[in-house]
Amino acid sequence: MKLLKSFLSFTFPLIIMLFIFSIYLLVDKVVDSYKNSIANDYAIVVITNTPFIDIDSLADIKVKDIEALSRTKIIEGVKENLSSSSLDLLNKKLPYFYKIHLEEFPTTRKLAQIKKELKQMTNIKRVETFSTDHNQIYSLLVLIQDIVFILFVVVLALSLLLLSKQIKIWFFEHNERISIIQLHGGSLMYSSKPIVKTIILSAIVSSIVVISLLIVVVNNISFFVQPEIISIMPKIIHLEFEIFQIFLLSFIIPFITFFGLLIQYKSK
Amino acid sequence: MILANNITLSYDNNKNIIENANFNIKPKDFIFISGSSGSGKSTLLKAFYGELYVKSGHLLVNKTDLSKKNYNKLLTLRKDLGIVFQDYKLIKNYTIEDNIMLPLKVHNYDDIICKNQVKKLLKHVKLSHKVGAYPEELSGGEQQRVAVARALAHNPSIIFADEPTGNLDDYSSDVIWKLLKNANEILGITVVVVTHRIPTDLGVKYRRFNIDDGVVYEAS
Repeated sequence: MKLLKSFLSFTFPLIIMLFIFSIYLLVDKVVDSYKNSIANDYAIVVITNTPFIDIDSLADIKVKDIEALSRTKIIEGVKENLSSSSLDLLNKKLPYFYKIHLEEFPTTRKLAQIKKELKQMTNIKRVETFSTDHNQIYSLLVLIQDIVFILFVVVLALSLLLLSKQIKIWFFEHNERISIIQLHGGSLMYSSKPIVKTIILSAIVSSIVVISLLIVVVNNISFFVQPEIISIMPKIIHLEFEIFQIFLLSFIIPFITFFGLLIQYKSK
Repeated sequence: MILANNITLSYDNNKNIIENANFNIKPKDFIFISGSSGSGKSTLLKAFYGELYVKSGHLLVNKTDLSKKNYNKLLTLRKDLGIVFQDYKLIKNYTIEDNIMLPLKVHNYDDIICKNQVKKLLKHVKLSHKVGAYPEELSGGEQQRVAVARALAHNPSIIFADEPTGNLDDYSSDVIWKLLKNANEILGITVVVVTHRIPTDLGVKYRRFNIDDGVVYEAS
């Protein structure tokens, strides 16, 4: 019973920390997917005096494609009401229209920078960024992403505190055994084997619990989130990389704590 | 083997327990360190296996300079030592077999070798029937015999024993003295024993160091 209690005292904060981390990863994935989908739909329209426009990147965002809008369509629409001389003049004076597609959806700040960069170009007459269309949902998602990240950092700090306390208790409990083994030439790492084994077991248990929870949440996402969010979520969520990250973190955090305390113990 | 050059020992820089001691212990020596209670016998022994650092002077044990703090070198030295403590220092949640195996495990010996060695040693200390028992299930004398078996398990170059028969019955004392004598005579292990009662019928040639008021001297 005492053993189980001490095991849970270590595993529970680890599970909470990993769960918050998995939520952060999920939100990150949704935001990324939404970013990609709106980046595909989104384009900046520019009107230029000359037919040539050559831009590689804007506000450090790569330009995916520059699409020239057909001038003939505009002329076709108005040519019936115009004389041939006016039509010639329109042909000469009508500016060129381009749609600029970006590799990713820009933030409000980046969008302002893009507008500024474009307006500095002498041949550009007018820029339309259509900034309000997607920005509200995107900003909301970024806000949620930031909140979850801050929550993760806070939980991580608290977990580190609880994990280090439990490891200290284990060192105290094993103190006699550790000192006897050291008197026989065993290193501190060797004499701490039972602690290491418990940490490994705890990391495996907590990662299994959190990964299972994550899979349950993803497969029953409609139960957990609003329908508006579901519509912007990717249809198939591949979680392989996220599962790998959770598994890795379940070992990294306890072992960083353990080795930190081991150095502290050794220096004593 | 052990060379003390002007060593002074104290706890936390308080009053010196041993002052300016000079002596030389050679391979295969059987040494007794005696003196009155509180004279510093155990303190000197602790310095030999690095549980206490020397305040000044030079102390060499198996060519390891114990006046310099080096954790890794100290562990390497300890791997080649056998230590018998007055309070046995057996690991409570280890069986007798696991306790004796400890120095062998530290040396990364194979399981079969460890088990065979434990079997032999348990026979020598007359505790073959207690192989799966835990220390708390044994008497003081039996626990000390296990401690001696553990000290002998990895065939060390030196055995340090702190009052190994201090509170034991005659039978356990006899077994322990015989083991230490055989270790010295047959295996050529240097034995350093701290005791206030040197057995009269040991039948081994020994040297005796006495500690009096912080001064270590060899008694004739």
